[in-house]
Amino acid sequence: MKLAYYPGCVAQESGKELDMATRWVCRALGIELVPFPSFSCCGSGFMDEANEVLNVAINARNLAIAEKAGLDLLTICSTCTGMLSLANLRMQDEKVRARVDGALKPLGIEYHGTVKVKHLLRVLTEDVGLAAVKAKVVRPLAGLKVGAFYGCHLLRPADELQSESAEEPHAFEDLLAAIGADPVYYRGRVMCCGFPIQFVKGETASRIGGRQILDAKTHGADAMATPCPLCHISLDAYQNRAEAAVGQRLDMPVFHLPQVVGLALGASPEELGLSRHLVPTDIALAKVRAAPRA
Amino acid sequence: MSAETTIKVPVSVYRFEPGRDSVPHYVDYTLDLAPHTPVLSALLKIRAELDPTLSLRYSCRSAICGSCAMQVNSKSRLACETPVGPEVEKHGKIVIEPMRNQPVLRDLVVDQKPFWTQYERIEPHLKLDPRHPMPEGAPNPMTPEEVERFKETPRCIACAACFSACPAVEADAGFPGPMALAKLYRFVVDPRDQARQNRLVRIQPEGLWLCLRCHLCTEACPKDVRPSERIRDLKEMAIAAQGATEPGSRHAVAFKNNIREAGTLNEMKLARQTYGLAALAKELPQGARIMRKKPEVRKRPHPIDGLDEVEKIYAALDPKERE
Repeated sequence: MKLAYYPGCVAQESGKELDMATRWVCRALGIELVPFPSFSCCGSGFMDEANEVLNVAINARNLAIAEKAGLDLLTICSTCTGMLSLANLRMQDEKVRARVDGALKPLGIEYHGTVKVKHLLRVLTEDVGLAAVKAKVVRPLAGLKVGAFYGCHLLRPADELQSESAEEPHAFEDLLAAIGADPVYYRGRVMCCGFPIQFVKGETASRIGGRQILDAKTHGADAMATPCPLCHISLDAYQNRAEAAVGQRLDMPVFHLPQVVGLALGASPEELGLSRHLVPTDIALAKVRAAPRA
Repeated sequence: MSAETTIKVPVSVYRFEPGRDSVPHYVDYTLDLAPHTPVLSALLKIRAELDPTLSLRYSCRSAICGSCAMQVNSKSRLACETPVGPEVEKHGKIVIEPMRNQPVLRDLVVDQKPFWTQYERIEPHLKLDPRHPMPEGAPNPMTPEEVERFKETPRCIACAACFSACPAVEADAGFPGPMALAKLYRFVVDPRDQARQNRLVRIQPEGLWLCLRCHLCTEACPKDVRPSERIRDLKEMAIAAQGATEPGSRHAVAFKNNIREAGTLNEMKLARQTYGLAALAKELPQGARIMRKKPEVRKRPHPIDGLDEVEKIYAALDPKERE
C-alpha cells in the first residue's frame, strides 16, 4: 500500500515522536509513505476562522499535490483529517470552488476532488485490517487498560466527514483490542480535549481536558491513547494544568495511536520517542512488560 | 400491516428530588414495547402505570415544541423522536437522565434559567435604527440570496439539547452557548437588522471565542441547525467587522499570517503573536517545561517547497493582509 504522507505541523515539530512512531509502524506493516516537502499546514481549525476560502484553497493545493501523484492522503492528526476533508467537501460548493480555482488555476494547480483523506486509524482498521495488524503483534498489551480519545475533528460533523458513527465510534477500541489491550469505554472519549481555546482561556481549556482525563481514570484506564497530536498536547503537555483545574493528581500516561500499536508490534520505547512525553509512560510500560510475550 | 412484535425494554430513570433526596438515584423498569415506540411514550407509560410521581417536561410529542430534551444513553435527544429499539440494540438498556448544564428541579425537569439568560444576552430581536424609520406599512422584501444567508438557523426550536451537550458551557459560565450564538448569527445576517456592527463588536469579548468547535452541538441538534458552523461564520464576520480584538481572534489571525511565512507552523512565533510579550512572560515556565522534552519548539521551521505558490494564494484571497 502506498500513500501520500501528510504528517502535519505538530508531528514535525513538538510532536516529533508521533512521526517517528508512524514511520516505524508503517514500515512494519508494509505501508509505503511518500513524503511531499511541498505540503503546507492544514489551517488547524484556526486559519478558516479568519478566512475560510483561503483555508479551502490552501488545502485544495495540498490535495492537488496528492492527486497529481495519484495517491490518497494519509493523515495522523484528527484536526488535519477534519480540515482536509472539509476542503474536499467545500470544493463541491460552486461559489467556493470558483473563488478557489480563481486563485489556483493561474498557478497551474487544479484539483478534481478525487483524493481520499484517510487517518492512520482508518488505514489500520479498514485497509490493512485488524486481522493483519493482529498477526504482526509480538508483544500483546495484555492487561493494559487503555482509554481511546478520538479528537473531535476525526468524528464530527459526521455527515460532512462521512466518519464512522460519531456518537458511538469503536474503530479505535477495536484496534486496541486487536493489539491485546483492554479498551476502556467512557463518556469523555468522544469529547473535546480543550486545545482549541488553550490560547483563548487556558484555565477553561484545562478544565475541559482535565475532565476527560479524570473520566478515563475513573473508568479504570491505566493510559490513554489519541489519534491527534493536538489532543496529545492538551492531555500530556498540559496535564499539569489539567490537574490544577480539576484539583487532583491524574498521572495519566497518554500515547499517540501509532505508539501503542508500535509497542505491540515490538518497537522499543526509544524508537517510539516515549521519553519525549511530559507525563512518564513507565507505569503503563511496566504493565506491558509484566505480561507474557506472545 | 401486522402488529409489530414487542421487545423487552430495560429503562433506568434518573430520580432526584432536592430537599428530599440527598443524592440522585436510578429506578429500573422493564417494559414490553414495539421497537419504534418513542422514549417519551415509554416514560409516560411508566408514569401512567408504574409511578405517578415521575416528573418530566413535554408537550407536543411531535418534535416541534422542544420541551422533552433529555439525555438518552448520555446523548442529548428529544425523547419524543427517539425510538427505543435502536437504543436497546446499541446499549442493552436505556438510561434516561435530565439535560446537563442546568440544575435539576426534580427527576428529569431542569431549571432552564441558565439557558434563557444566555439567550437574552444576545438580544434576540430585530433592532431597527430610529434615525432611519421604516415607512409605515411598507413592504420589506428580502432577496432569495438574503434569505439563503440565514442557513438552517430559523429551524431552531430552543430545546437546549445543544446547551446540554456543550463542553464549553459546562466549563465556563461566560460562554453564551451554541443556541444563543446561532440565534445571534440569524440576526447578524438579517438584512433588516440595523445593529449588525454593534452585535459583532460586542460578542467578541462576550464569549464568542470560547467555542471549541467540537461540533457536539451540531451532533446533538434535532433540527440540524448546525450551530458550530454558524459560530465559525460569526468569528470570521467579527474579525472582518472589527479586527482581532481578543486573544481568540488574535490567535486566528496570527495563525493565518504565521502559515504565510513558511507554509508550516512556527510554534514559538505563534505563541508570541497570540499572547503578546507581556502575557507570554507568564507562559514561560510552562513553555520551558515543554521545551526540555521537545526542543524542536524553539527552532524556526524549514519553509515548504513551493512557498511561492502559497504566497500567491494568500495574495489572491487575503488581500487585506498585504503590506
